[in-house]
Amino acid sequence: MSRRVLGGVAVFAAAAVALAFLLLPIVAIFARVSPGTLVGQLSSPVVTDALVLSLKTGAVAQGLVLLVGTPAAYLLATRRFPGRSLAVVLVELPLVLPPAVAGIGLIAAFGRFGLLGGTLSALGIRVGLTWTAVVMAVAFVSGPFYVRQAIAAFEAVDADLVAASRTLGAGRARTFFRVYLPLARRGLAAGESLAFARGLGEFGATIMFAGSLQGVTQTLPLAIYQEFDVFPHGFTTALAMSALLVVVSGALLVALKVTLQWQPSERTSRFLFAPSS
Amino acid sequence: MRRLALACAAALLLASSLLAAAAFARTHGKTPPRLTVFAAASLTDVFPKIARESYSFEGSNALATQIEQGLPADVFASANTTLPEQLYKQGYVTKPVDFTANRLVIVVGHGNPLGIKGPASLEAIKGVKIVMAAAGVPVGDYTRTVLARLHMSNLVDRAVSQETDVREVLSKVVLGEADAGFVYATDAKSVAGQVSVVRISPHAQPRVVYAAAAVRTSSHLAAAKAWVRSLLSRRAQKKLRAYGFLPLPR
Repeated sequence: MSRRVLGGVAVFAAAAVALAFLLLPIVAIFARVSPGTLVGQLSSPVVTDALVLSLKTGAVAQGLVLLVGTPAAYLLATRRFPGRSLAVVLVELPLVLPPAVAGIGLIAAFGRFGLLGGTLSALGIRVGLTWTAVVMAVAFVSGPFYVRQAIAAFEAVDADLVAASRTLGAGRARTFFRVYLPLARRGLAAGESLAFARGLGEFGATIMFAGSLQGVTQTLPLAIYQEFDVFPHGFTTALAMSALLVVVSGALLVALKVTLQWQPSERTSRFLFAPSS
Repeated sequence: MRRLALACAAALLLASSLLAAAAFARTHGKTPPRLTVFAAASLTDVFPKIARESYSFEGSNALATQIEQGLPADVFASANTTLPEQLYKQGYVTKPVDFTANRLVIVVGHGNPLGIKGPASLEAIKGVKIVMAAAGVPVGDYTRTVLARLHMSNLVDRAVSQETDVREVLSKVVLGEADAGFVYATDAKSVAGQVSVVRISPHAQPRVVYAAAAVRTSSHLAAAKAWVRSLLSRRAQKKLRAYGFLPLPR
């Protein structure tokens, strides 16, 4: 056998091993019990409560991320100031932080004995073990996914178009809404779906900072963890919730790919293609 | 610059895998084997003082699920007798051996700032943040027994978090995120000085007995069985007592 053939076989074998390794655990989630059992488990109150809570806290957290993250990303993308690179690095730091570190950090900052704990207590606010704590944990770990992508999206906006808008008399605000936002929207959407997916899977920081209470702080990943502990029948419920998360996360990923590939028409014509007749 | 970074990354990867390999060789080269002991979270402090083994401390129910799902363990030490008994009936472990006992207390913030005197105060004082372990976790079940005996089962719904093991309950109170938590006396003792302890009257105390068993699929079954028996030795019992565990009730 020639060297080239051998090399080709090796590459294919490696690819097959990688694919099998990554795919097998996901397939196993669906293969362990019948689809009927999986679907049946989804109607249990633990699951529905967790799903509703995950979606609610996810929505609020992502709302905050968009509201605060978009201007921050715009600033970091369009202004040059000393310490800018450092600011970008700091914004991205939570991306690579282990979630357990995020949990400890949130407790050390906002916990009762934390840096701001005294101030918050004086105002009668205790965030630990509450719904708010879930939102904070999710926003903390998922926000950087959005901001990072948003910075790139704003930076990619053609400077000539911005200059044209400004010379034609549009103010900064108008330029932002009429030029920056429309041109960066795909990048923003992609970043946001990544952030949402990451937030949906958030576990470590949440269980440390927010605790786990059905219907209040127990999101889907926490419910999976807790159901796994329920001996001897919780494993099936945990499988069902895992299957649900695989489907939702998979759908988000597909949506992300589609968003990134979809090319908006650059023409002024209302038709994407010229009529053939 | 880029090549330098790449070289650094490669070196780092190589170094870490070498380290891992060395660690692997060390743990797998020697005899006698180091046993893998799945033990209740409340045994976290005392077991390593009794013997040097590879421990996994978690809620006993989580450990039971892991054993049932085939995770490799040699010994299972549970904070109740029901879980090992169930696994024994299903053929996963050898006949369980009761080896120690414990009791429940309420831990509150250091100095007891809210003036909690007993379970009744938890009901009387408004806005007390209570944590307990979830149902199914041994300490969670014991907590429910205590509350049922005191006719205070409604307190279960007032818990702000249902934790997966007793140490999680403890840490929530130590960190001040919760005001009161139901834990074992031994856990409270492990953080003496960081929390205050409120006693639960003897008539409300559940029967907290720990049982251990060897896992049948263990590749060191004889050693695992001997290890379980050794928990009844004078040395082990002395250690358990030193950490606040109680002798077995008659």
